[in-house]
Amino acid sequence: MATRRDFLQSSLVGFGATAPAFLGRTALAAPASKKETVLVVVQLTGGNDGLNTVIPFKNAEYYKLRPNIAIPKNQVKGIGKDLGLHPACAALARLFNDQSAVCVVQGVGYPNPSQSHFRSMDIWQAGSTAETVTDGWIGKALKAKPSPAFHLAAGNETAPLALTGAPVRVPSVASLDDFQLKMAAANGADKAAQKGVITEVARRTASPNNLLDFVARTQLNTYASSDKLAAIGKNYQPKVPYPATALATRLKLAAQLIDAGIGARIFYLTLDGFDTHAGQGGAVGAHANLLQTLSDAVSAFYRDLAERGHGERVCIMTFSEFGRRGYENGSKGTDHGSAAPLFLIGGKVKAGILGDHPSLTKMETGNLIHAIDFRRVYAAVLDRWLGIDAKTVLGAKFDPIAAF
Amino acid sequence: MFLDAHSLWQPYSATPADPWDARKVGHLYRRAGFGATHAEIAAGVADGPEKTLERILNGRPESAEFTRTTEFMASEKSMPPGAPQPRLAAWWLDRMLKTAHPLREKLTLFWHNHFATSNAKVRNARHMLGQYRLMNEHALGSFRKMLVAMGSDPAMMIWLDTIQSVKGKPNENYARELMELFSLGIGNYTEADIREAARAFTGYQIVGGKSKFNSYWHDAGDKTVFGKTGRFQGEDIAEACLDQPACAKFIAAKLYRFLVAETASPLPEVIDALAELYRKADYDTGVLVATMLRSRLFFAPESYRAKIKSPVELAVGIIRGLEGTAGPLPLAGVLDGLGQVLFAPPSVKGWDGGTTWLNAQTLLSRNNLALALTSTEGIGFGSRCDPAKLLSNHGKSGDAAVVDFLLGVFLQGDVPTESRGKLLDYLKTAKAAKFPVYWTADDIAHHRYRAVAHLVLTLPEFQLA
Repeated sequence: MATRRDFLQSSLVGFGATAPAFLGRTALAAPASKKETVLVVVQLTGGNDGLNTVIPFKNAEYYKLRPNIAIPKNQVKGIGKDLGLHPACAALARLFNDQSAVCVVQGVGYPNPSQSHFRSMDIWQAGSTAETVTDGWIGKALKAKPSPAFHLAAGNETAPLALTGAPVRVPSVASLDDFQLKMAAANGADKAAQKGVITEVARRTASPNNLLDFVARTQLNTYASSDKLAAIGKNYQPKVPYPATALATRLKLAAQLIDAGIGARIFYLTLDGFDTHAGQGGAVGAHANLLQTLSDAVSAFYRDLAERGHGERVCIMTFSEFGRRGYENGSKGTDHGSAAPLFLIGGKVKAGILGDHPSLTKMETGNLIHAIDFRRVYAAVLDRWLGIDAKTVLGAKFDPIAAF
Repeated sequence: MFLDAHSLWQPYSATPADPWDARKVGHLYRRAGFGATHAEIAAGVADGPEKTLERILNGRPESAEFTRTTEFMASEKSMPPGAPQPRLAAWWLDRMLKTAHPLREKLTLFWHNHFATSNAKVRNARHMLGQYRLMNEHALGSFRKMLVAMGSDPAMMIWLDTIQSVKGKPNENYARELMELFSLGIGNYTEADIREAARAFTGYQIVGGKSKFNSYWHDAGDKTVFGKTGRFQGEDIAEACLDQPACAKFIAAKLYRFLVAETASPLPEVIDALAELYRKADYDTGVLVATMLRSRLFFAPESYRAKIKSPVELAVGIIRGLEGTAGPLPLAGVLDGLGQVLFAPPSVKGWDGGTTWLNAQTLLSRNNLALALTSTEGIGFGSRCDPAKLLSNHGKSGDAAVVDFLLGVFLQGDVPTESRGKLLDYLKTAKAAKFPVYWTADDIAHHRYRAVAHLVLTLPEFQLA
């Protein structure tokens, strides 16, 4: 099986075809209206243990499956009558209970689940279970309806498959400070002359080398984005304090870019470390720390935006490539599984719980069985939230979940 | 001309239509190492393909000075178990910058990306060095020995949880990645194979910093893997993977992408021919690599500039081309922003590489690294790399001579005429610019040469390997 990471021929050809259109505009050309909706995707990399995130604490089977790592009944943060969030998700539970801003979608997955991190992540990011995937679901959405988008990257993170296939490459930004082209110039005129050469040498007619075209287009796109972002003030004063985590810092940048009104509609961020094969902990420990990072950062981000009047414009969606095995392993961790819950957070989401918790007695070789296809979630986000025809993006009709 | 898959792997020989030239030498040095110096390109052109390939494939013996420094830096004293991650990365970068056998370091980097293990989880510099040594020893040797030994490599045992896997409750992490990423590729095994194989990898522990098999925790029962049943241990599973036809193909395809081209998917028979050779050589990677680097396909237009440089290739290539040096610690820090932290790949799948190396942020960081290494003003780099010094050492002055020399070293002159023209235009404009009154004529010349060197390194062609 080939994935786009092995060979990129087809998507490069795709880039080539868009060259003339590209040269006419930049990544940030047309600011959308201030009222347009915004999607923020937070990818939980490694396979989040859904069963210890949204916990069926009244189910005795849960405690049998997980003698060492189950979350005690009295520690879960109740949402609804039979479910509780992990105690590290206290901030999310408050958003659920006090602000009605959280929709929990249970048992999300796809048929014949792959337990390979990389294959399953490709499936989620492509929005397709096709054998070979080259473009991402968001890239395809941007192709259907072009608008500015950002990958807010950890310093050493590559752009995700989810964003490939967009008509203009989605810029990855780690911080505004580092997002500048620097020069050693004697004076302003010298600087302008150097910058002129750097930009001009990238502006060339199509060459027979697709890879060279790709580089040149990425360069032009980048220099344009860099100029545009240079105009945004660097001093953003959040309305609520953000935690001191890298994820929170990147979400704060997203808030700044949303508030700056440059028309960005899609943001993509990742949080890595969810591959908890060993020593994942229970109410406290490695998995708890990750959930705390997620919950606190997302909560601060949402509340900051809400105070600025953007609460009803934003929807945050979490996802992971799979959940984990129902039963714990001998290393007090969990191996790769399948179905898991995800969160949709925002002022306009239909707060509550969608779908039933997967059965803990009827499992597929120890893995939870999905009831909601992840493309039904994408269909809702595309059709109902972003106003983009989901069928064009997903290649088939999926019944959107009632999340909006 | 029709060429069958085997003939594509026959050695290249120069013809009037397809001559041996600086472009081919530069290509070879980029792929088989970390780029060439002016002298290496000149020698390569003069010596012809056979002699140049011999030199690259065999390397030269390391100097006593190199061995002493690198061993000291890797000693328990300077690299204790808790040594910070950047020190590990700096140690390896220093080797890449100074080694007399770049191909071996390059292939070690390939294996590091293949058995991608991160000190972020291992948290033990001694174990990471141990794994480096295992890969460096077999980099151009037996993949069979390396794969078998990897199962009980302490860094790997921590990275993929083998040390926590015990009889009755096996942990599937290592068994899965052994098949999916280290030997066969997805689609060439079943979930049942993984669950059974995981039982064979129970009872492996680390005692006193070394791997130790503990039969008490080992599941000694029968396991069925790939349709065969036996009381397998970890080593047997590795051997069983090596016996699968998918294995040689999987590694050959990955090496093809590393050494030859990542732009287009090769026809299956092109890889099959390599896989056949690899199996016949009992997984001797040196044989495979030599065949690939000597081949017609390697020197064909389809393979030229058919890869994006990795951050390490980019940085080490600039420093080598400038005939300079750089503090490896600051360099390790910069490579973080470019997306490649040695001894800390992002996941067990390694760096995706290819076009994913380049995004808006990393592209700006690449340009800014080029600036730091050419301006003599970079924090942490200073003047140990200096284009002005390079040009003066080679007796180059005058705008055209300067531009052509720099384009020769870094791109073997293979850029559009317009790009060369723009570089010359810049030098002309800059000559007429207003400089601070206290600058001497030399200051102005050096400034212009350093600036134009930076501009050369921002050409789109320079991002390609």
